[in-house]
Parts: sequence; C-alpha cells; structure tokens
Amino acid sequence: MVVTDREHHSAHDAASVPPDRLARRTAFSGLGSITAAALALPGVIASVASAQVAPLEEGVVALKVHAYEDRQPGLTRIRAISPSLYIGVPVASAWSFEATITHDDVSGATPRWHSAISSASKMGDHRTATTATVTRSFERWSIAAGGAYSSEQDYRSRAGSLELRVASEDNNRTWSFAVAHTDDDIFPTNRAVRRATRRTDEFGVGVTQNWTKSDVVQLSITHAQGRGYYNDPYKILDIRPSERDQSTVSVRWNHSMGASGDALRTSWRFYRDTFGIRAHTLDLAYAKFVNDQWTFTPSVRYHTQSAADFYYDPVYDAQIGEPFPVGNPTFSSPDHRLSAFGALTLGARADWRIDSRWSADFKLEFYEQRGAWRLGGGGSPGLAPLKATIAQIGITRRF
Amino acid sequence: MKHDDEVVTQQLSAQEWLFSFRAMASPCEIRLEHAARSAAAAAVDLAICEVRRIEKKYSRYLHDSIVSRINAGAGQQEPIRVDDETAQLIDFALALHHESGGLFDITSGVLRRVWDFKQEKVATQTELEALLPLVDSSLIEWDGQRFRLAERGMEIDFGGFGKEYAADRAAATLQSNGIVHGFVNFGGDLRAVGPRVSGDPWSIGIQHPRETNGTIAAIEIAEGALATSGDYERFFERDGMRYCHLLNPRSGQPVRHWQSISVVAPVCTAAGALATIAMLKEIDAVDFLEQQQCGYLAIRNDGERFSKNVAATSNSGG
Repeated sequence: MVVTDREHHSAHDAASVPPDRLARRTAFSGLGSITAAALALPGVIASVASAQVAPLEEGVVALKVHAYEDRQPGLTRIRAISPSLYIGVPVASAWSFEATITHDDVSGATPRWHSAISSASKMGDHRTATTATVTRSFERWSIAAGGAYSSEQDYRSRAGSLELRVASEDNNRTWSFAVAHTDDDIFPTNRAVRRATRRTDEFGVGVTQNWTKSDVVQLSITHAQGRGYYNDPYKILDIRPSERDQSTVSVRWNHSMGASGDALRTSWRFYRDTFGIRAHTLDLAYAKFVNDQWTFTPSVRYHTQSAADFYYDPVYDAQIGEPFPVGNPTFSSPDHRLSAFGALTLGARADWRIDSRWSADFKLEFYEQRGAWRLGGGGSPGLAPLKATIAQIGITRRF
Repeated sequence: MKHDDEVVTQQLSAQEWLFSFRAMASPCEIRLEHAARSAAAAAVDLAICEVRRIEKKYSRYLHDSIVSRINAGAGQQEPIRVDDETAQLIDFALALHHESGGLFDITSGVLRRVWDFKQEKVATQTELEALLPLVDSSLIEWDGQRFRLAERGMEIDFGGFGKEYAADRAAATLQSNGIVHGFVNFGGDLRAVGPRVSGDPWSIGIQHPRETNGTIAAIEIAEGALATSGDYERFFERDGMRYCHLLNPRSGQPVRHWQSISVVAPVCTAAGALATIAMLKEIDAVDFLEQQQCGYLAIRNDGERFSKNVAATSNSGG
C-alpha cells in the first residue's frame, strides 16, 4: 500500500534552498511555479539577439574590391577602385579583434562646373583608411572600442569610438549606446587655407527587438555636432557655415519568410542637418534563397532630399554666363550633393557559399540622381543627371 | 547494432527532414521543415553536440562527470564546488523538491539498488528500510556554489530532468541557427522548435499505456513542449500487481494511481518535471496540475481520462 506522507518532508526545504533563490524562481505571474523555475534555466529558450553581444566565434578574413564610376551625359567623371581587407579574430573566449584596411585609387576628369564633386577636382588621388575595433563580451553585454585613421594627399582624419551593447534578460531586446569623436585636418594643395580643422562629436542610441520568431525591428537615432571647416577649398564660391549638426532617425524591419530561407529587409531613414537639408531614404531588399550554395538579393533604394539653405542653382544665364550666387550671401555652394534631388539605386547581389569555409559575393548597383526625381517635385534645376555604376566582388574565408 | 554516434537522416518530403540518433539511453529524433538540407544538417549537428555535452557532463556512468564526483564525495568533509550551469540545475532540482512537497527527490536513485526491473525483483521491506535513510534531500548541503551529500552512500542523479533539459537546449540551439519549423523528440519528451511551414501545429501521438503499438490520443503543439510519464515505461507484473519504475521517495514503493500523465508546458524541462511529479502525487495529481497552470491529459488506472487545455483528439479504445 502506498502512503502519501505529507508530514515529514517539508521541514527541511527552507534549509535546502535559500529563500531568495526560491522567491526568484517563483516570482513569475501567470505561470506555475515549476514552469517559471524551468524557464529560468540557462539556454532553454533561444536567444537570437544574443548573437549581437556574443564574441566572434571564428576567425574571418575577407578581401573585397569595390569599383565606382560615375558619369554625366557624354562624360565619364570619376573612377575609383578600392580594395579592402577585413580581419576578425576571436581572442581568448570573450575578446575579439577586428580590423579593416581600405585603399582608394581615384582618377577623375576635370569636373564640370555645375555638378562638382569636391574630390573630383583632384586628379589621381590615393586614400588609405584603417579601422580597428576591440570588443569584450560578457554574458548580457559587450563593450567595443574602436579607432580609425584615414589619410590622403590633402586630408587626414582620425576617429575614436566606444559602443556599449546590452541584451535584455530574455535576450529578445538589445540596446546599443555609442559615442564617437572625429578630428579632420584639411591642407588643400592650392593653399586656399594652410591647414583647416574640423571636430565632430557623435552620439547614437539604438534598440533591436525580436518581434516574433520571423521579425526583427530596429530603431536608431544618431546626432552629430561638427565644428570647423566645411568649405570646398577648390571652389572660390564655396563658403559654408562652420557648424553642422546632423540628426538621423532610422527604422529597420527584417522579416524571414519561413522555411524557404528567404528574407525581406526594409528600412526607412530620415536625415536633417543645420545646413537645411531634409532627406528620406527608403531601402527594400529581398534575399532569395536559390539553393544550398546561392542566395540572390535584388534591392531598390530611393532617396529624396531638399537643398541646403545656401545652395545656389547652377543655371546658366544667357547674359551673365556661368552660374553665380545671387546677391552677396554669407554662404554659398554649388555642390550638387547639397542640391534638391531624388535618386534611385537598383542593385543585385549574389552570395555563393562554396563550402563551409569559403564564400564569395558579387554585387552590382546602378545609381541615378535627378533634380526632377525629388519627391513632390521642386528639385534643383540645371543639374545634368548623374549616373553611377558600383560593382563589388568579395571572397571570404573562415577558419 | 546502431553505433552511438550515428545520425540517420531521412527526407520525408521536399523540405521535411528527420534526423534520428541515440542519446541518454533513448531513441531521439529531430524533425524539421527547412528548404536547405545542408543548413538543416548543420544546425542539427550543433544541437546534437549540445545534447552529447549535457549527456557527458551529467552522466552518472562516467566517473569524471560532475554527478559522479559529487556522489564520490558523499559523506566526506569537503564540499564539491560546481560550475554555474550545474548550480542552476541543482537549484531547479531543489525547487522541484520543495514544490512537490518532497516527492521529487534527486537522491532517490539509490532505490535502484533494490528494485530490479530487468530481473523483475520486488524490493523487500527490510531492504527498503536500510536504504530509505539515504533518500533525503534535507541531507544536501548547498550554498549556491558548493555541494555536499552529508551521508556516505547517498547518490544524486539528474535523470528526472536531464533528457528534457537537453531537449530544450537542442531546440533553442536549432532556433538560434535559423530553424523555425520542427520539433525535438527525445524518447517521447518533446519540444517544438516552431509550427509547420504551413503554420499548422504538429500532431503528436500519445502512447497507449496498455497497448504497446497503439496511441490513446493525439495532442497538437506548435510551440512549447509536451512530456509524458507513464507506468508502462519500465515495469513488471507479479501476482497481479504492477510494479513501475516511478517510486515514492518516502515509501520506496511504486506509484499506482495513474497509467500515464502527459503535460503541455512552455519548455520540456517543465513539462517533464510536472508529469513526473503528478504521477508521484497519485490521488492529488489533478489538483497539483491545476495549481501549476499547465495543460494535461491524465489516464487513471481504471482508464478514466482527465484533461485540460490540450488540443487532443481521442483515439478509440482508451
């Protein structure tokens, strides 16, 4: 006969388990105490977001070559070839180190007056940029310190950054907080100024939430305050304010399409600065899983922006001739990047997983920018459409 | 005979895969719907690695496992310092002991010395009286880091939830590696990775407690876990009495009130513990399951069914 004896066993329980431990385990509401205790065990619930604070698990070396060419009707303007090397290595179990080196070779035709890109005014330039980041990961958070250095003939940039990432208890939410400081030094070859400087402080906060098993959403806000020299030293009429504050808000939503392995990636970004530019950028990409080895990702991006307050239209006048700012303004610039325009990018990317160690990727993008494509009209007149082609090929080895 | 490390892969349909292997003395299955076989297989490899890790770490058959080291130290002066994962499992075991009113006891494994279900040997009262003093979780000294069994001859094992914990960790590993449709089934203890691609739940047959090849019901799960504890898993009959492997830690005698109890809970570790404790609760099982707010299907020794919050379709017979 089985007897369920209720007396002699409960006296010792308080001694066996410290009361606070029991309290912690039974503090969940709406769940039975045993279910709550089981849910508190490590690793019984998947944590997608934990990957974001986890250290690198394997070493990665990636070599990419990026090619850019832009043109206006009847004129090829700039060509740039940029090889870059990325190295990421886990160090011990909780540390990782990442570095990139990029080299740009830019060659350009003498730019047309009314659609100048400042860098294009310099023929045959070289730029080398290096970044390095060290990350220390803990169970629920990580901290990363980074540095960047870039130099070319007439320009030098140094930056430092610090980023903290914190994952929630259930690992479904990750917060990130970042600060960065950049020092830029400009020494134009034409000696328009002997040495000019610019200092920028940047702050960012972001949150990534696993909404459902197939949806991840992200909100990020950044604010940058720059003080110093913003002019294009190679243009007489390019005089810009010496302060520029820039803010962005961006929302990202990634949706995985279930067993097919396909994924939809969307984002919207709003940008404003104290030059007077307001911009919206919408991105849409669909990663189509073709088979075990190939993923094909077509993408489209639309960008629309208003002009900077001091931008002047490069409209030729029958009598005056070359464009000129009207009146005698304090600030003025004909840089087409400060104009009001709309731009469309159509792209496609193919990812080839060769085996568990090697992979390759190929990307091709076509960009076109026109005043008339600004959302709601009102784009800057007088700009010839700008077209660009961007190609990239990369190979990655994991070890 | 199937080698222990062997994993057999079957393609059930265009994108449905079944991976079978043995672990923790049980047949184990991972069934997935995923377009890419290689991606599915890579995730399954990681999940099985995790299962083997847990099996090795907590086996009482491996002399260098943490459980064996704790048992070897029983009655010694020095406590054994344990790692974080083990500490959390010990906390969980002691919480189960508390919540079950002492019926779930990780020190009860010593009763196997006198009950032999292979040889169909009934333990005598004298044998039980000699062993029962060693079945007592109050003789565990535990400060959250250091563990000591106060009496020589005492033993603990994590058999009461180790397999279910492994199922949860395997399912979580699959989810973290991009698998969202499928389930893990370790010897009848099951944890969903996610619903079918179609969004439909998986329909899981519940073993008929008295017909070896029959099912008594089907329970649908899309998320969460399902575990069953029954008197048919290891048992023998002698003189018209059924002796099953679920032993009351105070009397040392097999329980007799239920043929089987299936529990649906968010994770398998909870479902398994709830099903086992409910079996040990005997007449109080339904009250206990209600209080623990889980879904259940319980079959009493006279065949009567009790159920709540399970999407179950009954099979004829019952």
